[in-house]
Amino acid sequence: MYKFEKSFYSKTSMYSFVVVLLLFFSMWYSTSKFVHIDMALLGYAISSTVFAIGLTIRMSFWMWRKATNRVAKRSVDNLFNKERLKRNSKAVVKTLIDNIILQKFIFQRGIYRGIQHFMISWGCIISFAITFGLTFGWMRFDLIDPETYQIIVFDFPTITMAAHGIFAEIVYNGLNIGAIMVLIGAGMALYRRITDYDVKVTQRFEFDILPLIILLAVTVTGLILTIQYTFLGGWMHHYMSLIHQVTVIIMLMYFPFGKLFHVPIRPLATAVPMSYQEVVKVDTKSCKSCGQPYSNDDQIADVQAILKSQNFDLQLADGSYLSDYCTGCRRRMRALKQMNLEAPQGNPYGPVNTNNGIHISGFSKKRSEEFYGLDQDSKEEKIDEPVSR
Amino acid sequence: MNKIMYLEFERCIGCRACQAACRECGDHDAKERNYVEYVDFTESRQTFPMLCMQCKDPACARVCPANAIQITDEGVVLSAMEEKCIGCRNCTFGCPFGIPKFDFEKNKMYKCDMCYDRTRHDIAPMCASVCPSDAIRFIDFDEMQQLRRKRTQMNLVEGKKPQEGNKWDYVPEFFGVYTDQS
Ligand code: HEM
Ligand code: SF4
Ligand code: SF4
Repeated sequence: MYKFEKSFYSKTSMYSFVVVLLLFFSMWYSTSKFVHIDMALLGYAISSTVFAIGLTIRMSFWMWRKATNRVAKRSVDNLFNKERLKRNSKAVVKTLIDNIILQKFIFQRGIYRGIQHFMISWGCIISFAITFGLTFGWMRFDLIDPETYQIIVFDFPTITMAAHGIFAEIVYNGLNIGAIMVLIGAGMALYRRITDYDVKVTQRFEFDILPLIILLAVTVTGLILTIQYTFLGGWMHHYMSLIHQVTVIIMLMYFPFGKLFHVPIRPLATAVPMSYQEVVKVDTKSCKSCGQPYSNDDQIADVQAILKSQNFDLQLADGSYLSDYCTGCRRRMRALKQMNLEAPQGNPYGPVNTNNGIHISGFSKKRSEEFYGLDQDSKEEKIDEPVSR
Repeated sequence: MNKIMYLEFERCIGCRACQAACRECGDHDAKERNYVEYVDFTESRQTFPMLCMQCKDPACARVCPANAIQITDEGVVLSAMEEKCIGCRNCTFGCPFGIPKFDFEKNKMYKCDMCYDRTRHDIAPMCASVCPSDAIRFIDFDEMQQLRRKRTQMNLVEGKKPQEGNKWDYVPEFFGVYTDQS
């Protein structure tokens, strides 16, 4: 394996090579050795391959980040841990449905935003599934008799359907349905981004607006194509299909590098309840100072390991780490340190004397002796001495 | 632009005007992102305001598995990007100062962004603009230096002399230094 890796320029190029190889073989297999390949979609096939390479490279770099790597590793370990199998599978399936499929949390951010994103994401997923399926030949339609079509998936005959049945219409129009969903969603998003002052605070054109424009360009040109061959008898169809192809290629090239890259990142969210929140909203690790539970042992271990691997020195004099304290205590520790109010003797993070002797409220008050950390015997000596202050 | 957020914890009178102001800021969704807390309630009623340090190399961004925390050109560390944050709360535990807050319903982290739409245009952040006791100030670099010098002098008058090793104990912190010196 090591030798194999060495024959590549880098690990990412090795992964990309494997991905391209897999795509090629899946294509070769599902089109029964390229017999059933759809040559009209060749442009899409090539750009989809480049898209896959881009995605592989970006995913690899993302996975190499110390934080991502650690969290992903723990998630995989937990997932295949036999003892936790039952609870884990339940947690993963539940988050998958709530968080990824239904996207409940976006609806919590607002009904408008929920509908908007539901339309964009599911419209895109439907369209992507159909486009990739057809371009790589994973799915095709065979006419087995003049009235019946059969859907062939990976060169394996599956369901048959009447050529003009309702189901067939839905299947043929899958791309149009997807496109209309994206059109509604992306239109809503663009409207919100133009009119809402709150989103403008951190909005950037190239990051937030551009993906919406690209998505709209793809859907609009795609829908015009449908209109042209259903209502206009294919008028200007050829030119439009070229324009549509260009927009799709731009989108595929853009996908791994811009905002749309959140799509491959999101699945990691399914691992969060499994690894970090054993019971939702119930914490098990308690703060070293106040004793209140604030997190989970595994999570704090991960955070400390990630910080350590990136040379963050957040260890205190007594060997504990800042992340061993709850957030409230951490804020207090910072303020105490800053005001020079830490308890001068014993545990510096214990109860404090708020009169630090440096900034005394009002005039003619004595500084507390304790503050200077004078030890006991020197104080005792002083008792007999004449005091001149 | 070379403005600085200047905090003097002892000046805080605990009125929480800064928190009310924070809720009103653009994109803050009516939730405050700063803190006003007691130093030690059993000892005294002294409170202190607490904000994000806008670290140069933020621990919060480094522990985020989704790479959701971005830093602007001006050096402001923003809240998690809404489409990326996977809601793991690593940032809350990684931050040395316990700053990032988390919204379980909306499944996203939010933190002080120094009122990005205001400070970007050299306007004081909401909290600094309402603080009645000047515990939070948004001032020029020179003014900050002057204040710090005065404070050290005051300590000398008080009879406590800062040593090389502990002189930082005598000056309040400053943060959010905009790197652009022009
Ligand atoms: C299925 C899993 C997905 C999840 C969990 C997800 C999650 C999110 C979240 C949380 C946001 C922020 C929305 C907000 O707070 O208003 C967002 C925005 C966005 N998502 Fe997704 N996403 C998914 C799939 C997709 C797909 C497949 C696409 C299309 C290729 C897509 C395109 C977008 C776009 C364009 C935005 C920006 C909307 C705006 O301008 O406000 N997402 N996504
Ligand atoms: S949240 Fe914490 S780590 Fe992040 S920039 Fe602010 S103070 Fe620094
Ligand atoms: S809660 Fe969000 S911003 Fe914070 S570390 Fe997790 S993914 Fe990153």
